[in-house]
Parts: sequence; C-alpha cells; structure tokens
Amino acid sequence: MIGFYRELEGSMRLAGHVLRRFWVLKLPPVAEELARQIYFTGASATATIVIRGALVGTLIIAYVIEVLNADVELAVRILLWVVLREIGPLIAAVLVIQRSGTAVATELALMKISGEVASLRHMRIDPQDLLVVPRVVGIALANTALTVYVQFIAVGGGMLLSALVIDASLGEMAGSFFLLASPLDLVYSIAKSLMFGAAIGVIASYYGLNPPGSSINAVPKAAISAVTQATLAVMLLNILFAYLVYGSALFGLFTALQ
Amino acid sequence: MSATAGVVLGYEPFAEEERSAGRLWIEAGGSHVVPAVSAAFKSALLPAVLELRPRKDARVVVLGADTDALSPRARATLRAQLAFLPADGGLISHLNAWENIALPLGFHAPARLRGLAPEVYAMLEQFGAEPRSLLGRLPEEMTLYERKLAGYVRMRLEKPRLVLAEDPGAGLGAAERRWAAGFAAAYLADCPEGTFVQLEDVQDESG
Repeated sequence: MIGFYRELEGSMRLAGHVLRRFWVLKLPPVAEELARQIYFTGASATATIVIRGALVGTLIIAYVIEVLNADVELAVRILLWVVLREIGPLIAAVLVIQRSGTAVATELALMKISGEVASLRHMRIDPQDLLVVPRVVGIALANTALTVYVQFIAVGGGMLLSALVIDASLGEMAGSFFLLASPLDLVYSIAKSLMFGAAIGVIASYYGLNPPGSSINAVPKAAISAVTQATLAVMLLNILFAYLVYGSALFGLFTALQ
Repeated sequence: MSATAGVVLGYEPFAEEERSAGRLWIEAGGSHVVPAVSAAFKSALLPAVLELRPRKDARVVVLGADTDALSPRARATLRAQLAFLPADGGLISHLNAWENIALPLGFHAPARLRGLAPEVYAMLEQFGAEPRSLLGRLPEEMTLYERKLAGYVRMRLEKPRLVLAEDPGAGLGAAERRWAAGFAAAYLADCPEGTFVQLEDVQDESG
C-alpha cells in the first residue's frame, strides 16, 4: 500500500513538473523529441488503428441492431453514445498503452540503467525536461488525434454496415447522425483523450525513470507496471468523466433502485 | 587542511585509511594525468565533484571553491564551468551524433546552434573523423572512438574551465589512441585558462 502511495505521489509530481516546465518545449532538442513522439505514437500507429476501429465500430452496430432490432435513430444514437463518446477514446488509449506506454517505459528504464540519465545530469540537463515533458505532451496530442481517427473510422464503418443491415440509406443515417450529434460530444471525447494520453505518458515515464532495480531484469518489470497502472488510470479517468457527464442520471438510477 | 586558492580540483577523504587509498589536489592550468585510479575511488570522487554538494566523508574543492560553502546559485555557476567526459563518450542512445553534440547548447545556449556546423566539422576533422558520415549515425552505429570523439566535441563546445575525463584512450587501438591522446592539448589550445584532468584506470597486471 505504501508502495502504491509512493508511486501515485511520484506520478503526480511528474505531472506537476510537466505543467510547470511546459515552456521547455520551445527548446530545439525538446521540440525534436516532441515531434519524434507524435510521429511514433500517432502517425506510425494509424495503420493498426484503422483495422481495429472499423472492426469494433461495425461489430458494435451489428450486434446492437441484431439484438435490439434497432431502427435508424437508435442505431445512430448507439453510434453516438457508445462509439463516439466511449469506445473511440478507449480504443485509442488501449492502443497507445500497448505501443507507446511500453516503449516509453522500456526506453527510459534502459536509459536509466545504462547511465544515460546520469549523463544528462552531467550536462546540466534535467532528464524530466528532455525525456518526460515531450513524451507526455506528444502522447496526449497523438492520442487525441488517434481518437478522432478511430471515431471517424468506427462511426463511418458502423453507418456503412447499418445501412446494409437495416432498411435505411447511408444518407438517411448520416443526416440523423448530424442532427443528433452536438459539438459537445467532440469536446467531451477530445478532453477525455487528452487526459488519457497525458496519464499514459506520465505513468509510463514514471515507471521508466524509476525501474525496480539496476539490472536489465528491471526493464520488463518497469514496462509491465507501466501498462498495468496506465490501464487502471484510464479506466478510473473514464469513470470520472462518465460521472461528470452522466452523474445526475446515474444518481437518479441508484435512487430509483433503492 | 590546505588552502584552496589556485586549486582546480581537490578531494580529500576525512578518514585516514581512505585518504591513503586516494586523494587529489590539483593546481589550476594545464593537463594532468591521475594514474591508477581504482573503481572505488572513482565512484566516490565523481559524484562528489559533479554534484558539488557538502559531503560528510570528504572535503571537495572545485575551481578554488570549497563545496561545503556553496550557495545554490554559486553551485549552479560553478557547475556550468565543469565538464565530465566519460570513457564511452556519454552519448544518448536515441539521438544521432549531431543531436548529441548539439544537445547541451540546445538547452543552455540555443542561439549558438546557428552557425555551429563549421565549428563541429573542424573539430571532427582535426581528429580524423569524416563529419558527413559520422553526424547522422546513432551511437550504436558508431565505433568506440567515434563515440568518445562525439562526447569530446560536445564537451569542448561548452568551453568548460575544468574537464574531468576518464581515460580517453581506454579500449582503443593504437591509431585511435594516438588521436585521443591529442584531446587534452586541443582543449587547452582552445581554452588556455582551462584544466584537463585525466583519470587513468588501474592497469590489470595479471595479463
């Protein structure tokens, strides 16, 4: 339990450092690290995410239409509530944890063990400025871009499939979608994705910079801890966001059950 | 206790037995070779000198200042005049040679990055390297000598007053060792008021 609090405190401190030292992003070496991180987390992950996003979007729609015998409006509402608000950000976050979370934790743990972090200190460079700030910001931005991408693919795929399965044209579904969707849906999912990405970046960096030992065996342990804790953090943040948005409705449901 | 004026690097353990195992008291200026430095002495000396913090186990003097009496501001000022050159060059593995060389300046003097290339090219060529082929490579694609050279060039660009270097020739072949032997002289030609202290490892006499 003490270990958990120590890790939580360490992650919070790291998050505070990122907020305090945001300005270092304008320094050339840090800006290059940021560009590298955005490319790795965002651009190079798009191919993988296209397939996953389309599969999940069409799977949800196909399943719900089959089970609920949904009409156009219900199918679109499901797309909006489930795919746009919930599944889109979660798929992107899970993919980012799998790819970038493990990569960041492994890379930083190796750098720490091989003395590169100490080497930065010898050059009077705060390792958190060069290694953590651009990674956290880069993962947050790339995760948001990936989320929008997933939403586009999943909603598009879902609508295409729905148009084939139920008696409705694609134009009818798209018209219904734009009628029911509000800019708040996009703001909600973008805010959530930014928080998810930042949390993944902070947690992966924390475990990378604090490996449980100085031998090479500590590297996979750091990666495992990063993946586990980042997944937990994303789930908790999702619950928090859901409470903030649907809180009164959930509270009403609990009251009714009592 | 000795006076610190004119002392560029001093390290005196308080315990008598440790003092006999290793102590340093180096006057400012020129190149100095500290022979037969044991791993234990080095692992005690380097953090003491590079962190510049008060120590319970030793008296440490850097560039004439006793680290016991340093304010945080004085410590930062002093640290900026001190450079450490590790045996493997101390490069960052995911940055190529150019990014490694430019890294400290990118943080501490970004304005100097413009127009830096000719200076770097000249230094690399001075030590037998081909800049065009070297600068784009990652440390894992470089030889030990190239890594040492990149670390050395990076150090020289900062123009420190005191350089603490692990043996630049360690682990090199005869030809590269000759190039590396010129590191101290080239640094002193560039910074005549500087001091280059080279720590040589204990030689294994068994073989």
